Amino acid sequence: MSAPAVARTPAPRVRRRSPYTYLAVVVGLLVAVSLLEVVTGADDLTSSGTISATLVATVPIALAALGGLWSERAGIVNIGLEGMMILGTYGAGFFGYHYGAWAGVLGAILLGMVGGLIHAVATVIFDVDHIVSGVAINIIALGATQYLASRTFVGLPGGGSTQSPTIPSLPSLTIAPVSDGLQGLEQRNVFVISEVAAVVRALTTNLSALTVIGLLLVLVTYLVLWKTTFGLRLRSCGESPVTAESLGVAVLRYKFVAVLISGAMAGLAGGFLAMVASSNYRDGQTGGRGYIGLAAMIFGNWRPGGMLAGSGLFGYTQTLGLRSGRDSVHALLLAVAVLALAVAVLQLRRRHVRAAIGFAVAGVVVGAVYFAIDEVADDFTRMTPYVITLLVLGLFSQRLRMPAADGESYRKGSAG
Amino acid sequence: MASVETPSRSDAPPAVRLRGIGKRFPGVIANDDINIDVARGTIHAIVGENGAGKSTLMKILYGVQPPDSGTIEIDGAAVTLGSPADAIKAGVGMVFQHFMLADNLTVAENVVLGAERLHGIGAAAREEITRISGSYGLGVDPDRLVEDLGVGARQRVEILKVLYRGARIVILDEPTAVLVPQEVDELFDNLRELKAEGLSVIFISHKLDEVLSVADEITVVRRGTTVTTVDPAGVTARQLAELMVGSELPSPSTESSTVTDEVLLSVRDLTLPDPAGGRPLVDGVSFDIHRGEVLGIAGVEGNGQAELVETIMGMRDGATGTVELAGTDLSGRSTGQRREAGIGYIPEDRHRHGLLLDSSLWENRVLGHQTRRPSVSHGLVDRAAARADTQRIIEAYDVRTPGPEVPARALSGGNQQKLIVGREMSGDPVLLIAAHPTRGVDVGAQAAIWDHVKNARRNGLAVLLISADLDELIGLSDRIEVILRGGLVGRFDPSEVTPEDLGSAMTGAGSDAPREEGSP
Repeated sequence: MSAPAVARTPAPRVRRRSPYTYLAVVVGLLVAVSLLEVVTGADDLTSSGTISATLVATVPIALAALGGLWSERAGIVNIGLEGMMILGTYGAGFFGYHYGAWAGVLGAILLGMVGGLIHAVATVIFDVDHIVSGVAINIIALGATQYLASRTFVGLPGGGSTQSPTIPSLPSLTIAPVSDGLQGLEQRNVFVISEVAAVVRALTTNLSALTVIGLLLVLVTYLVLWKTTFGLRLRSCGESPVTAESLGVAVLRYKFVAVLISGAMAGLAGGFLAMVASSNYRDGQTGGRGYIGLAAMIFGNWRPGGMLAGSGLFGYTQTLGLRSGRDSVHALLLAVAVLALAVAVLQLRRRHVRAAIGFAVAGVVVGAVYFAIDEVADDFTRMTPYVITLLVLGLFSQRLRMPAADGESYRKGSAG
Repeated sequence: MASVETPSRSDAPPAVRLRGIGKRFPGVIANDDINIDVARGTIHAIVGENGAGKSTLMKILYGVQPPDSGTIEIDGAAVTLGSPADAIKAGVGMVFQHFMLADNLTVAENVVLGAERLHGIGAAAREEITRISGSYGLGVDPDRLVEDLGVGARQRVEILKVLYRGARIVILDEPTAVLVPQEVDELFDNLRELKAEGLSVIFISHKLDEVLSVADEITVVRRGTTVTTVDPAGVTARQLAELMVGSELPSPSTESSTVTDEVLLSVRDLTLPDPAGGRPLVDGVSFDIHRGEVLGIAGVEGNGQAELVETIMGMRDGATGTVELAGTDLSGRSTGQRREAGIGYIPEDRHRHGLLLDSSLWENRVLGHQTRRPSVSHGLVDRAAARADTQRIIEAYDVRTPGPEVPARALSGGNQQKLIVGREMSGDPVLLIAAHPTRGVDVGAQAAIWDHVKNARRNGLAVLLISADLDELIGLSDRIEVILRGGLVGRFDPSEVTPEDLGSAMTGAGSDAPREEGSP
């Protein structure tokens, strides 16, 4: 065999996007939304109020998604995020009322971790199926908090079996000169400039400390998971635990810790709902955000940046639906129609004729609906975030790459 | 071929000295009185049948399992290796047969994992990886995803991992099993580089030609114990094989022709389009196999032979063309129906397609025969009959196992394969498809499987044989077709063709044949 040396074709290296790419995406989005606002006249699309509300809607989803990220990167599927969030809402209510705002935050984290502990013990130590354990936690958490609430909140001022008394609020940040100074600029409706002003105003008006912490945690997660030894080892447990063990990584310990952190994040997400998005614990407060967080994480391809984008998309559409939804969601229809047509052209250029036709038809139909009606009924505006999530997941799911050993059972000593 | 003394450099202690190593598992003696000396700066091959105890021995040397008795000395100092970490500390590194790599991490991340203390996980580590890669000619790029690498490159990453941890003794467990010939040559060049740098390489294999070409010394292991250590210059592959088996060897060559003119399998214009839109995976393939005939398919891996077999078995969607078995058109039939129509199938990857590794042998016996007696009667699994029939297979096909209740995983590769052959022959098939039937099995099992193929032929079956082992193809087949880029490109008479002729036909005789299945 005197064959020539195997040609080493230059295969794709790991993609490294520069921060400018992200900046360009943000600016591009802003311009697009401004354009949409001009075309449709839906003023509320980029008001500072919408953006503030979007932040408040986004952070709990992002925190839940972070919880999912930590756990799944270590190979444990955590569908119990919802339950851990519920525990978090109660923790914030109980500890927040009795011991003050920051104690509420810690209480939310602590109770979330209790949920994480149960999940970790079940899946990591006893090798219970991850889904079974997660669903059990969701059910148990709901029942447990309802029971605890009826035992601990009844009789307190403003408290009852379905809600806690008002929790003292966390410090928030307002930079008055900037906030007030930009008000005029925002209201003048200058193309793009006003939108930028709105964003800056949202970030300088009544910005809760927990919002800042939540966003920082996304960054911290990225740094820890991708830039430290601990993170590398944790991720290796989710990719190939056998490999990790053969190299001396204490796989089970990393998985256990990851699920605990996951619980803490989910608990904090619940705490955020009780303390920032609202001002007390309420029964049913999470409203399925744990699952949405999971979807956001999948949308983000198990990466912090992508997961934040997914959470933002959901938070934004949810906010639009809740505020002047009839107009804003109506305007979104136009965006969807244009987007679908653009994708159709893209698919056509790639010679995927059938997909192109599908997108073109969808685009035309949605466009027709946009011109046929003047505003979207409330019943539908509340659906928007879910529909958008479904659409986005459907469109992007083929390129996703989950951790290779995610959800798989692992017993120690499988190596060798 | 006399045993040779270790050609050590005067009185320097050997890099590894194993004395009296013993290891028992319940019901099995895996190792018994193993004695090996590996000199510094040499490639030391350990050969033996599967199940002879080579892998157990290497796990002991790498600290995965503790020995029950015996001593290990490294560079003259006695060591106790309680875990792989101990072994790494002692300078022993292991490249597993099944790669230990995380696909979605980069080369650099895979290499530094578990050894982050050495150079961190950042730029310094990448620099070190590039340095090692350069000095041993490994050609590894630290920033690539392992997922994107071919098999040969992955193996180099594994070797790099071991070197990064400062190993002076590198164990390779069946490293060539997964490589194509050019990659094997490259690997051997890499190993010689290691040797030149003064490292010791322990090389486990049962491919004797390769062992003879690369090793400085060869230790033969049989039934858990070391038989002898020989100098490769003084032995032939055949002598080595006889040492491994402990008796004379059979050869694959067949007896007189049993080919009849009754067509059993008739394939016409079989085409399987590429779901990704490239050229067809199977391209207009037509052939007949007669009663009592073995048709061999030769081809470089990835030229459509696996897809051809899976299309005939009905495992692929979207295929066009006809497959007729003994006059019955199989088009549109499911895989199960095709099996019932009389196809026995020895799949190319017995772990993925042939067996449920964690199920017992008798349950594996039922698989694929879940609609037929004796395993199943009146729609229910007849355990007693299935067990009894498994026992029959175990005896008739010499499957070495304590009984039908053990999980398939507990058997060596050769014994797993013999069980599959026995199962596939038990439904009275008219066609036997054997895809790489002796891949990864030891010489003893290989001879047995050859015998079973010959028996099938003698009993009037049609046999479709796919193999990468050209001697096996030439020895067993009545006719050889060469497959290239999904189409049949040449027909050869095995009594006249040489492996060299086949080899050039397989690569398209000078034209630039694709070595791997790849996107254009």
